[in-house]
Order: sequence, then structure tokens, then C-alpha cells
Amino acid sequence: MSSSAEEIEQLISQEYKQGFVTELEVDTFPPGLDEDVIAKLSKIKNEPDFMLEYRLKAFRHWQTMKSPDWAQLNIEPIDYQSISYYSAPKRKEDGPQSLDEVDPELLDTYKKLGIPLDEQERLAGVAVDAVFDSVSVATTFKGKLKDAGVIFCPISEALQEHPELVKQYLGSVVPEADNFFAALNAAVFTDGSFVYIPKGVRCPMELSTYFRINAANTGQFERTLIIADEGSHVSYLEGCTAPMRDENQLHAAVVELIVLDNAEIKYSTVQNWYPGDENGVGGIYNFVTKRAECRGSNSKVSWTQVETGSAITWKYPSCVLLGDDSVGEFYSVALTNNYQQADTGTKMIHIGKNTSSTIISKGISAGKAQNTYRGLVKVGKRAENARNYTQCDSLLVGDKCGAHTFPYVEVKQPSAQIEHEATTSKISEDQLFFCQQRGLSAEDAVSMIVNGFCKEVFKELPMEFAVEAQALLGISLEGSVG
Amino acid sequence: MANNYSAEYEKTSDALPGQSLDWLKVIRADAFKCFSDKGFPSLREEEWRYTNVAAIEKKLFTPQFNVEVNEIDKELLQNYQLDGVFTIVLVNGRVSLEHSNLEGLSDNISVLSMVDALDQKPELVEKYLAQAVNDKEHSFVAFNTAWFSDGLFIHVQANQVIEKPIQLLHIVTQADLLATTRSIVVVDEMAEASIIETYVGVENVYLTAAVTEVFVGKNAVLTLYKMQSEGDKAYHFGGIYVKQDKESRFTHHNFSFGGLLARNDIHTDLNVASECDLNGLFLGVKRQHIDNHTRINHAQPHAMSRELYKGVLNQRARGVFQGRVIVAEDAQQTNSEMNNRNLLLSNDAEVDTKPQLEIYADDVKCAHGVTVGQLDEKSVFYLQSRCLDEKTARNILTFAFANEMVDKIKVESLHEKLLLQLLQRFPQEGVEKSWL
Repeated sequence: MSSSAEEIEQLISQEYKQGFVTELEVDTFPPGLDEDVIAKLSKIKNEPDFMLEYRLKAFRHWQTMKSPDWAQLNIEPIDYQSISYYSAPKRKEDGPQSLDEVDPELLDTYKKLGIPLDEQERLAGVAVDAVFDSVSVATTFKGKLKDAGVIFCPISEALQEHPELVKQYLGSVVPEADNFFAALNAAVFTDGSFVYIPKGVRCPMELSTYFRINAANTGQFERTLIIADEGSHVSYLEGCTAPMRDENQLHAAVVELIVLDNAEIKYSTVQNWYPGDENGVGGIYNFVTKRAECRGSNSKVSWTQVETGSAITWKYPSCVLLGDDSVGEFYSVALTNNYQQADTGTKMIHIGKNTSSTIISKGISAGKAQNTYRGLVKVGKRAENARNYTQCDSLLVGDKCGAHTFPYVEVKQPSAQIEHEATTSKISEDQLFFCQQRGLSAEDAVSMIVNGFCKEVFKELPMEFAVEAQALLGISLEGSVG
Repeated sequence: MANNYSAEYEKTSDALPGQSLDWLKVIRADAFKCFSDKGFPSLREEEWRYTNVAAIEKKLFTPQFNVEVNEIDKELLQNYQLDGVFTIVLVNGRVSLEHSNLEGLSDNISVLSMVDALDQKPELVEKYLAQAVNDKEHSFVAFNTAWFSDGLFIHVQANQVIEKPIQLLHIVTQADLLATTRSIVVVDEMAEASIIETYVGVENVYLTAAVTEVFVGKNAVLTLYKMQSEGDKAYHFGGIYVKQDKESRFTHHNFSFGGLLARNDIHTDLNVASECDLNGLFLGVKRQHIDNHTRINHAQPHAMSRELYKGVLNQRARGVFQGRVIVAEDAQQTNSEMNNRNLLLSNDAEVDTKPQLEIYADDVKCAHGVTVGQLDEKSVFYLQSRCLDEKTARNILTFAFANEMVDKIKVESLHEKLLLQLLQRFPQEGVEKSWL
């Protein structure tokens, strides 16, 4: 068994290919955070007054808060004053009007990452908003989306052009005082994506945002706000990478989704921040608050996430099922290796009648990593016929890692039906033996078993991402399944 | 608020047993300091997030060391005394040999009151007291260590098998009373025993804070039953802390019926190739609050644990299940299963459940499952198609759901008693005992 155990480890550990640094001239704030920094930030972004007030309110509240310590994570204390809160590539006076004017260095960076900002490229069906450190550098297919009535732009631009929409919805799902990291984000967020799908529109293409941390000593604080108006539909993808550095960098994002009557949002993430090296040095601290509110009846939110990067992941994409008959889904694969730590899961809050939710969580823990599922299913008094099905499985590879499951179930409604199942095991020797006995190499067998383990989640991903996700797990299906 | 009790402690501590023993004095003083520093648990503590004990804190329950035995509610006593078992009665936290029945108990099994044990075999008590549980872990344990007034010291010597179970019948006869008992059960190598803990009391407000420490020796087998039928207004805290040696087997059956607020803590530390089974049934009616907290610590390899807790909540009752399985780094080949099934019968009932797996070893098989739901409509329909009205059909199915746990009990007199309790607490229309 030991030889195949080694193979498993080889399979799971692979080099981080996105770890290069792009040399650019940048505008960067000196490290430190106070009200002046926030005012300066707001001024650079030329924000309406209400934003500055919102930011300051959040900041003042944040100062009274303490960093949460309930997660199964071992976090070195973070010095928030040693981080720079703004870093952006230097740009010409007016900023680029079209892709031709974007710094070719930047375009190269994205090309290297496999994210084509060129509209003629192969992934023609995906519109991309590229966020580089603190600013959005380019958004593709703006014209085509505009024809459909879809607004897809950096949130800083939305604040200029659609301030009323932003004001109406920003912070309405994740209030500025929600938690420590959300408050920090509300105070200092720099960019992110804004999406508005009007009534009855089915977004003609996949929308995607690609986040890149490049500068050293900075944190990335992005904010995403997606509103799906009545009867609309959108599929949104999110990807992220960062250079390899010895120090830890902070990423604290907030994502808010608002779903009205009969609308649907499908939100997929492939998180591949730099995880640190095999000795646990460096890596991104990823503290993300993601929440969706199904406000309308018959609305639906589906979160899919593949978490392979980050030294520390603290992330609980949640669904508040307010509207009757609304549906929440959460599909997750979390892979931790070496010294990575992940504490991730979801919250399903059933408030409306006939609401249903599904949670499928797959954790794979290797090396000396700790992988935790933490979830809450809450059924309120009025949520008649609420239905939840939860399955969380963990796979352990190696005897130094840990896998933990902390589900919370709170039910106040007798007609609710809640099921929760969790299993933890290693790759069974019987399964391995069976596959090998049928002529597969140990490597193919492991690949097949791990892929099978994650299949339920991968099938929820859009095609392009599913391919990336499988590649990320370092496992190829070639020659093992037809 | 803990000061409320501090003053009382100063007043009564001299009357506590074993105060002439220096080591015990130290243990008690440390425990009391631990309790005064921490106070009663608050909702902010993870282990207590669903259970509010503020009511206990506000009131002042006081121990009574000189309770006349003839005050006992004889009827209550007779009602709960089981047939075919050895019985020891504890009145208001003190052993009353007068009402006990140990006739025919083998000499190789010593059953002493804690007061006598501290007097006759203090070195043996010292060896075991506060070894299975740490005061720091739990305010109520610290409270109990500081304040225990009596309890049992049961020692089953190696290779001995007790044919009949020993019943420990705890009874409280007075309002506002604090009954703190501390018992120690030691089952030596290859021995086998079963013990039934029964808690009953008057229909008044009182507090039971009982802690039992259990040591199961190599290859030994112990079955522990707990039937908690406290008075409807009572507060009950019961902690059972088990240390298992190699290849030992421990089985616990936990029936939680009574009390306004009841909290059960069952913790077990498993050794190499040992086994434990934790079964539980909690029934809540009216405004009852029942909290079950179990922790299975797989510290060594090749051990096995199984757990099944079922809850039925009616009216405004609230049930809590918190189960934790920890598999240590070296505990390879662990096999663990945990299940919690809950039935909500009314719109105002609530259940909060939190099964946790914490796993640091890789060659393990661990699973847990939780369901919260209602009766299967198909089963209801089936019974209706067999000419039962809907209400009866539902009653029968609810009863059957709970009866699965009672059916596991092989001690006949206890089984009988549990069935009666079950029928009393359920909508029983259509369910007849003679069918069972």
C-alpha cells in the first residue's frame, strides 16, 4: 500500500503554475489604515458621498470588533496596519477605452494565466472582468451584453453610472457590521464586479471575473454584487490566482447575490490562490463572506466551489431562502495539502414556505492539512415543508492530515424534513485493489476514485471550469473511464 | 452570580464528607475556585449554545445534610424500585441504607456510600476521584466536585460477574434542594456488571447535579442504564465520564423523560480495541428542555463506537443533541458511527442538533447522520388502509419510533417501567400496552 500511497501524494501535490510576478509601474498606498486612507480611497475612485459615509461607518464598527477565533484554523495574528489597502497599475489620464489601450504587459499576464481578454479567442462564450490588485483592468463583451440589457462592469464604474442601483442593494445582504472581515471589506473594498440582469432576461453568455493579486504587501478586498431581477437567469464564474511569496497576503472579499421572483443565479468559483509552499510558508489568507438572498418566490441560487488554493480558507457561501418555493444549492470540493487549512461550508436559512436546499460537500485532505466542513441548516417557524439534504464526505490521504465535520441543524417547524449524512474514510484498499485487478495502474485507479468522489460537484460546474477543476486536482481521467 | 453560591459554600462546606482528608480538601478548594472563576456556563460557550442555565444561577439551591429518612415519599420510592435487582436509595443526595436492598451481593463486590468509602478506604477513593473528568472542563463538574455530599463507590473485583444489576435510586423529597452526588464505578479486569441509575423527585423546583466516574478495566464489560424521571419542575444535570481500558466494552442507555431542564453529558475515552455503545431517547413535552451532550474520544487504535440518539418533541419542548467524535492522530483503524433521529410533533417544538467529527488519522471509517422530520406518510396511509383512524395510526408510529430504544433493554423490570413511562408521556390513544 505504501507505494501507491506515495503515488497518491504525487498526484495531489503539483507545482503552482500561476506563481509568477508581473513587473508593472504601480500606484500603491503606503501601508496603514485609518479614516484618511479610506477618504483618499473613496476620492481616487471618485465615489458618491453616500459611499464614503458607508465606508466610514463600516470602519468605525470594524475597530470595535475582534477577529473571529471559532473556526478550526490556526491563524497567525494579522497586522492590519502593515498592509497597503490600494495598489493599481499606473494608467493614462482617461483610462483605457478599449482593449487596445490596455497595457500589453497586463494582457500578457492574463494570456499566461489562460484567461483571454481578446474577444476573438476560443472562450468566446464568456465575458470576463479582469481585476488586477485593486482595480478592474478590462471587461470584455460589454457591447454585446448591453444589447441584452445586462449591466456587467466593475463596481467602481457602476458607482459612477448606476449609483441608485448600487445604493439600493449594496450591503442589503451582507450588512457592513455583519462580521469582522465583511466590515473590513466594506470599509476598504476597491473593486469587483457588478451585475444586473433585468426582468425576464436570460444572460446570453457566461459572466466571469478573474481576480489576480500581483503587488506585494497588499491585500485584495473585492466586492461583488449580482442582482437577478424577476424571471432572469445568469451564470457567473470566478477565478483567482496570486504570485508565490514568502509572506502571507490577505484577501477579504464580500459577494452579495440578490434573486427576485422566478430568477436564478448560478455562481461558480475555482479558487486557486497561492497555497504556500510545502513547509507552509507564504500563501494567501482567504476570508470571504458570500451570501445570497432569494427574495422572490420560486427563486434559485446555486453555489459551486472548487477550493484548492490559499493557505487559509474561511468561507461559507450561504443562502437565505426568504421567498416561498425558493431553492438553495451548495456544491463544494475543498482540497487541502501540505500545511493548508480550510474551514468552509454553508448556511441554509429556510424562512419561506416549501423552500428546499441541497448541500454536497467533498473534502480531500492530504499532507499535514486540516480540512473542515462547517454548516448550518436552520428552519424557521414559518418555513412549512422545508426540505434539506446534506451530504459531506471527506477523504484522507496520509496519516498527518485531519478532516472535520461540524454541522449545525436547528429546526422549529414540524413539517420540515432534514437529512444530514457525513462519512470520513481513506481511499479504500478494496476499491484500489478492484481497479488494479481490472488492469488499471494504481495511478489511474486513484485518479478514477478521486474523480468519482468529486463528480457530483464537478458536474455542476460550467464546462470550461470543470476542465480546469479536474486539472487542478492533478488528475487525468485519460484511459480510465470512457 | 456565582457568588450567590459562594457564600452558601462557605457556610456548608464544613459539613461535607471527607473534610478531614487533606488531599480532598485541596481538590474541593481547587474545584470551587474553578467554579467561582468561571461561573455557570453561558450561551456563548460552544458546548452550551442551545441551553440556558440562567434560571439555576438566579435561584439558590441549598444542600440539606440532615434529611430525615422518614420524609421520603414512600409511594414514589415504591413506584420506582425495580424488581430483581440490588437497590441502593439515595435520599436528597445522601445514601440511605435503610431503604436499600443488597441482600445476596457477593463479597467480591464492594458497594459503599461515598461517605463510608472516604472513611474506610480513602486511599482507594483518592486513586479514582476526579481522574476521569477534569473540573476545568465543565462548570457543573467543578460545582459537583466542590460540593458533593455523598454518592456510591462501587468496586467490582477482577473476574467477577454480577448476575443482577445494581439500581441506584436517587430521590429528592424537598423543594429548593441541591442534590449533588458523586459516584465512582470501578470494574476490574475481566469483570462484568450492570448498573441502573434512576432519578426521581417531587413536583417542586430542585436541582440535581450528579457526576459518575466510571473505570472499565481490561476486557471488562459494563452496562449503564439511566432513567431520568425527575419532577416536572426540576433541573437536572447528569455527567457520566468513562475511562475504558483495552478491549473493554461500555454500553450506555440514556432515557431522559423528566425535569424542566435536563442536561446529560456522556464522555468516554476509548483504549486499544475497546468498544462503546451510546444509546439515548429523549422525550420532551410542555416546556421541557433536554440537552444531550456526548463525546467519544478515540485516543487509541482499533476501537469502535456506535451511537444512536432519538428525540421526540411535543408542545413547546426543545431538544438538543450535541455529539462529538474525536479520532486522535494514532487512532488508526477506528470505526465510528453516530446517528441522531428526531421527530417534531408540534409547531412550537424545536430541535437543535450538532453532530461533529474531528478526525486526525487517515485509516478510519467514520460516519454520522442526522434526520429531523415527521412520520412517514406512506406508513400512516398503510395503517389507515388497515382501518385505523389517522390519529391512532400516528400514535402507533410515534410510539414505535421511540420504542426502538426501549426494546434494547433486556432487564425485564426496567423494560416494563420504561414502557409505562413512554405510554404516560405520549398521545396514547390507540396504543395498548398489552400489544407490546
